[in-house]
Amino acid sequence: MALLKVSGLTKRFGGLAAVEDLDFSIQGGELLSIIGPNGAGKTTLFNLLTGFYRPTSGRIIFNNADITGLKPYRITRRGMVRTFQMTHIFQNGTVLDNVIIGRASHSRIGLLESILGTPSARREKKKAIEKAREIISFVGLEDQKDKTAHYLTEEARKRLSIALALATEPKLLLLDEPAAGINLEEMGGLMELIDRIRKIGISVCLIEHRMRMVMSISDRIIVLNYGRNIADGTPEEVANNEDVIKAYLGGYRAAQC
Amino acid sequence: MVGAYFGFYMVMSLAMNYWLALILATVALGFIGLLLFRFVFYPMRDAPEVNLFVAAMALLMILEGAALYFFGTETKWFVVPFSRKVLTFGDLSLPVQRVIVILGTLVVMTFLQLFIKKTSIGATLEATAQQREGAMLCGIKVSRVSALAFMIGTGLAGIAGVLIGPAVLLEPTMGMGPLLVAFSAIVFGGMGNIPGAILGAFILGLVESLASGYISATYSLTFVFGIMILMLLFRPKGLLGKETWRP
Amino acid sequence: MKNLFSSKTKAWFLALALAVAVPPVVGGYLVSILTLICIWSIMCFSINIIYGYTGQLSLGQAAFFGIGAYAFGILTVKLHMGFWPAFLAAVVITGLIGFLIGIPALKLRGPYFILVTLGFSVIIGVVLVAWVDLTGGANGLAGIPRPNPVPLPWGGQLSFDSLLSIYYFVLFFLLIIMIFTNSLISSLLGKTLVAISYNETLTESLGINTMSRKILSFTISAVLAGIAGVLYGSYNVVISPEIAYFAKGMDVVAYLIVGGAGTMAGPILGTLVLMAVPELLQVVPSLKTLINGIILMLFLVFLPSGITGGVDTLWVKIFRSRISQHGPAQG
Repeated sequence: MALLKVSGLTKRFGGLAAVEDLDFSIQGGELLSIIGPNGAGKTTLFNLLTGFYRPTSGRIIFNNADITGLKPYRITRRGMVRTFQMTHIFQNGTVLDNVIIGRASHSRIGLLESILGTPSARREKKKAIEKAREIISFVGLEDQKDKTAHYLTEEARKRLSIALALATEPKLLLLDEPAAGINLEEMGGLMELIDRIRKIGISVCLIEHRMRMVMSISDRIIVLNYGRNIADGTPEEVANNEDVIKAYLGGYRAAQC
Repeated sequence: MVGAYFGFYMVMSLAMNYWLALILATVALGFIGLLLFRFVFYPMRDAPEVNLFVAAMALLMILEGAALYFFGTETKWFVVPFSRKVLTFGDLSLPVQRVIVILGTLVVMTFLQLFIKKTSIGATLEATAQQREGAMLCGIKVSRVSALAFMIGTGLAGIAGVLIGPAVLLEPTMGMGPLLVAFSAIVFGGMGNIPGAILGAFILGLVESLASGYISATYSLTFVFGIMILMLLFRPKGLLGKETWRP
Repeated sequence: MKNLFSSKTKAWFLALALAVAVPPVVGGYLVSILTLICIWSIMCFSINIIYGYTGQLSLGQAAFFGIGAYAFGILTVKLHMGFWPAFLAAVVITGLIGFLIGIPALKLRGPYFILVTLGFSVIIGVVLVAWVDLTGGANGLAGIPRPNPVPLPWGGQLSFDSLLSIYYFVLFFLLIIMIFTNSLISSLLGKTLVAISYNETLTESLGINTMSRKILSFTISAVLAGIAGVLYGSYNVVISPEIAYFAKGMDVVAYLIVGGAGTMAGPILGTLVLMAVPELLQVVPSLKTLINGIILMLFLVFLPSGITGGVDTLWVKIFRSRISQHGPAQG
């Protein structure tokens, strides 16, 4: 049974179809990459999957449950979370503060207890801080955990945004262009992190432009063009697909990174 | 409000011709808009959005405070040569001032539409509104364009004030009512699109007048507000609202 | 950092000591000003919760103030309810209305939300004047009671008829509300509110139901404003529709921003400065709105983080060697 199954997914804005009649699925444990020219609808797809947009038609089934039309926070609670292309983080807080907020959805403490500072409230807070520390170590930011997010390098910010997503204990992690704005060396570190994420059992879906990364770590690749799915297969299959090559105008075969 | 008081002062205290006062008020208000832009809103352009609204609020306080101080709390009556005149069509009597307001609005809206659609400056305005960075890349001086947009905004408000002034009583908080109705209209009709705003304005304006006449004049504003709240509860997008862009 | 901590605590204790010890010594006029400052500080804390910490600018707090005061007034004067039951009921009513208005209002973002709250304030103002049977119209209500005398353990009783006693009564509530706010902010729940103010989309994406938190924050704010309203009614004995006037709601926002939004000292400092100074300088009332507006504008352009922000920056500059990497806002 697929972890995520998308059928007939369509999103129209006025007369324009950003995403049209998409069908695909992600199996548990695999890494699926989504590629395509700019404006092909990749980020729109993520927005649809995570509830930020409501589909015009189609269904999204996650973990055997129909999540079409649910609000974003509910979808996250069910185990699917995303990062943002613009690397959203809480700029004014420290790295630790950031990830603690990521843990907030996992603590069930009512208003009264929060205010009164009951032992259970304090325990929950302590647990959140501990778990946050673990996650920060996992992504390799423990030496910067008290640094204000504002001052981090772009690569550290990407790690932080991934840490935030991991804090929600997802089953499926959607990464929107995690390698944008980082150099080759840093990209290696990122690939290694994604590998470790997969090893602890989290499935990953990636939007990326950097072909070196996509080709080397993906189990399967989907190619979007003008909102439609024009190819779905292993990296070799996709690399040799005529429609794909046409869509990129021969560009991507030559693209190095 | 400022426009109305400005016109009032010109006509009543300086005995100026009404139409001249109208033109002068518009220019003066446009100028005030420019000053505001230059000294308040442009320096704050990088601040969090919320701060800009607080600045607008501070501005409201300053303007109303100034009006309060210089003109006092008693309502003023803006008297103009044709204030008392009324046009009659059989059973229907229309105060001349109101006709002027309607005609004036139509004239201004037409001019505005022509300006935006037909002139190159208008096109520049639209372009900048839609895609700021793209406009910058084309060599458009965004700050100048924004300043212009601001001035047009305040200038229009000034015209509205001077037009409506003789038809109603002047008092420092007179801007609130129209603001509220306008806002309710936008929410009701659907945010993010002009047809929605016009439809909303039309419907709610009608509601307000009918409520004023048949139910109660004092609560007419409450009625309008209440309807807007109902719309929010059941269909936050409004009547013609389009989906808002998120992340 | 320990230096910073203990000097802040020392400052608080000093302030508390002054607040308790000074009033008996000074004249009645100053005590009444101080009482009003305390009441408006509570209002500032109300705005601080919804705006300073959750990032939603509500211009309608004056409405809740008025609802609190009038609910209390009507229950005591017209329905002859006892002081404490009426207090509780008035606060609950205000909170409930806050909750009900919050649900539609918070569906809107940014400027639209602000305008809805402003609209609500205008409407309440209209209702309070127009519904003469309930509210006494423009004349308002008179005869609002002081707290019932409290029997003392050593015989006799503590009555609240004097100005000084009502001052301590109000001060007591201010302290409780400050402790409450502090507790809320340090909790995990409080941190999520601050997160919403920084980046609502991200917070929602992290599995937090932002809508329910915003409504919670708004309701708490309404409750605090209601408490301030009740206290005002009890202190002033007379209430009239002007207290719910939307301009006062804007004044309170000005106090908060000048003092420093999102801090504990901000509400008090801002209210103190913007209320005490004009009083001492004998400024004409009709000039107050204008002056508040100008001061607010100056702060917005030059020092948007308010007085506390300015002090923090100054502190960092002076003690630069002792402070390590340290962010601007600490929720």
